[in-house]
Amino acid sequence: MGMEQREFLVTIKACRRRLNLAGFLKNLIFALCVGAGAGIVFETAAFVTPLYYADIYAGTAVLLAVPAAFAAACMRRGTMEQAALFMDGFGFEERIITAYENRDKDGTLIVLQRQDAMRRLSENRSRIRIPIWPSWKSSVLSLCLLAVLTGLAFVPSPVKDRARELHGIREEAGEKEKEIEEILESLMQLEQETLTQEQQAALQEMQEMLQSSIQEHQQADSAAALAAAGEKLNYKYENMSSQLSNLAQSLQNGATASAASADSMQAMAEKLQEMSGMEPSGGNQTASNQGQGGQEGQNGQNGSNGTGSQNSQNGSNGQDGQNGQSGGQGDGSGQGQGGQGDGSGQGSGQGDGSSQGQGGQGDGSGSGRGTGSSSASHDYVSVPNAIADSGNLTGNSVDHDASQYFRTQTGLSWEGTHVSHEAVIGSYERNAYEGISAGRYPSGMEDVIKKYFASFN
Amino acid sequence: MSELDRNRLQDPVYMAQRIADCEAEIQKGIIGQREIIRQVILAMLTGGNVLLEGMPGLGKTRLVSTIGRVFDLSFKRIQFTPDLMPSDVTGTNIIVKNEKGSSFSFERGPIFANLILADEINRATPKTQSALLEAMQEHTVTVGNDSHRLEEPFFVLATQNPIENEGTYPLPEAQLDRFMFKILVHFPSKEELRGIVTLTEGSGAVEIQKKLNGEGLLAARALVNQIPVADAVMEYLLDIVMETHAANPHIREGASPRAAQALIRAARAKAFLEGRLNVSFQDVEKMAPPVLRHRIIPSFDAISEGVAEDVIIQRILDAKKP
Repeated sequence: MGMEQREFLVTIKACRRRLNLAGFLKNLIFALCVGAGAGIVFETAAFVTPLYYADIYAGTAVLLAVPAAFAAACMRRGTMEQAALFMDGFGFEERIITAYENRDKDGTLIVLQRQDAMRRLSENRSRIRIPIWPSWKSSVLSLCLLAVLTGLAFVPSPVKDRARELHGIREEAGEKEKEIEEILESLMQLEQETLTQEQQAALQEMQEMLQSSIQEHQQADSAAALAAAGEKLNYKYENMSSQLSNLAQSLQNGATASAASADSMQAMAEKLQEMSGMEPSGGNQTASNQGQGGQEGQNGQNGSNGTGSQNSQNGSNGQDGQNGQSGGQGDGSGQGQGGQGDGSGQGSGQGDGSSQGQGGQGDGSGSGRGTGSSSASHDYVSVPNAIADSGNLTGNSVDHDASQYFRTQTGLSWEGTHVSHEAVIGSYERNAYEGISAGRYPSGMEDVIKKYFASFN
Repeated sequence: MSELDRNRLQDPVYMAQRIADCEAEIQKGIIGQREIIRQVILAMLTGGNVLLEGMPGLGKTRLVSTIGRVFDLSFKRIQFTPDLMPSDVTGTNIIVKNEKGSSFSFERGPIFANLILADEINRATPKTQSALLEAMQEHTVTVGNDSHRLEEPFFVLATQNPIENEGTYPLPEAQLDRFMFKILVHFPSKEELRGIVTLTEGSGAVEIQKKLNGEGLLAARALVNQIPVADAVMEYLLDIVMETHAANPHIREGASPRAAQALIRAARAKAFLEGRLNVSFQDVEKMAPPVLRHRIIPSFDAISEGVAEDVIIQRILDAKKP
């Protein structure tokens, strides 16, 4: 290969490099325009629909422009033939491409043609101009689009706020779902062979309850819904903890007990108890949540838990201090740990139902919701010695004078045992909430039930 | 005539110059019609035949005779009429009596010349027209059982009148395909007409010089065939021909493969004549109309809409522009 031919090839190569560079820049500008356009679409959509990641999507679309342009430039990089053809466009009348294609061939005419092409190229090299930068119009367009995109990203909007809120909810719900799934898994891993059918059914019910909680968290689209779901979940934890504890107890007492499964159940019960207790503290500052625990101090066993219910609805035990069973000291010291969410708490906000549980001899993990307030005055609930039509009742039920009744504290009461309203309302409420979580009530009635029980507080 | 340097017959620059001299010499005897002269020379450089379409009296015969003189080639003119027989063109075997007795001897027809002017070819019957087919394609004439090779270079230049179609026999597609170019001869401009009248009716008759001979023409033709064609140019050329077969409401039938061969040869010849040793896109583009216009058959739509072949070809060229 002669010097002249080498120079000829070098010139074509240089042209190809410039063409490739120009192609890359052109692709880059185009990709930036496309990326910025896509980003604008995302940002605009964020004004209409909650799109938390709009900024990230838009940024990614713009950033992807560089590798996309590079990839496109690599895929479409010019060949020597294309460069030669491009050079021919500057008045060489296909001399260069013909000479390049026949660079290794011999023949009088071919050699003459090659020499002619090289001579022409060396004489008119200055004619060849390859603009590297794309047109200023496309550059300005891409810059404008980027500026619009940046501007849109910083414009505040209620929808964007909503998106952030939703995102927070989703994240929190996601964590909860994960937590529930872990518990579900633990439940499923429990050894069930030694359990009775009834016990297995109870475990099955627990699993179903947790499944429904997962759904509730998935469907939560507001802080209130999430709080409600969390509230239910906590209650379920408490309930499950109690049930598991009982199961563990019965397993330990049973003849065919499996110590390992009893231990694992007990451990899980404690874990659930701990989770239900911790749950409210994670949260938030709204003071009106319905607290957990603190109620049910009517028997000594339950007195131990007294946690939760820092909120104003709780502290129902203020009055219960009268009888030692309920464990309420009446001082409502409000130790409750729970109370997350933003429930609409009512009541005076005292007496957090710490429910110290004076009875104390039980080792149960008392559960129950702290309801009522310390200042509330409620009728007692009478438990008659006899019921109607049993023949044991005397007097006329409508004639108070003939009846054996007496006035006690704030209301009429029949003779017989009677328990404090606060002592049983928790139990009633618990059953109601169990029903809600198990889906026993028609949709729409859940809130009515909740309100009903809340009205006692 | 400046003497042809036989040592330089392989020199493309020299030969191109000689052809250019021929062209200039022809233009002395033919006023105007430069493009037609150029195309006829291109056809001669590639060994192709030309169909000239134009009104009578536009100098077609003069053109051919002038070319014959400049290239120092034998020239015959055949006036095609309805009663012209094939043997009137090719020649025939006749009985010759001599001392040994009677025998058949082949009497050559007018086709045995370098340059043939087939005047008003569409007036002869198809049988006679077809007598030209073998001569045009194979450069041989078969009479009886004997084939006779025609002298090279052999070149047919046929003419036909676009009007007065009464009593004519339009050339069949197979025969049209044998013509490399179909050249449309337009009426000259006023200035050209003045030059023609002055030249032919005035006193100063121009002396036409011989500039080349058959050997030189064949040497130039050999050089033309060696001109390299870049792949991209070839691709463009093939695209054009293929496009005549694509779905087009104005084309009933597209060009034949012979059209591609003719187009590349014509483009080579054009490049050669311009002193270039490679074929450019522009060469192909310029040569496409004369090569393709008689090879595509317009559809009824095209005819009814008045879309001429050249318009169709131009649209194809525009669509396929590199």
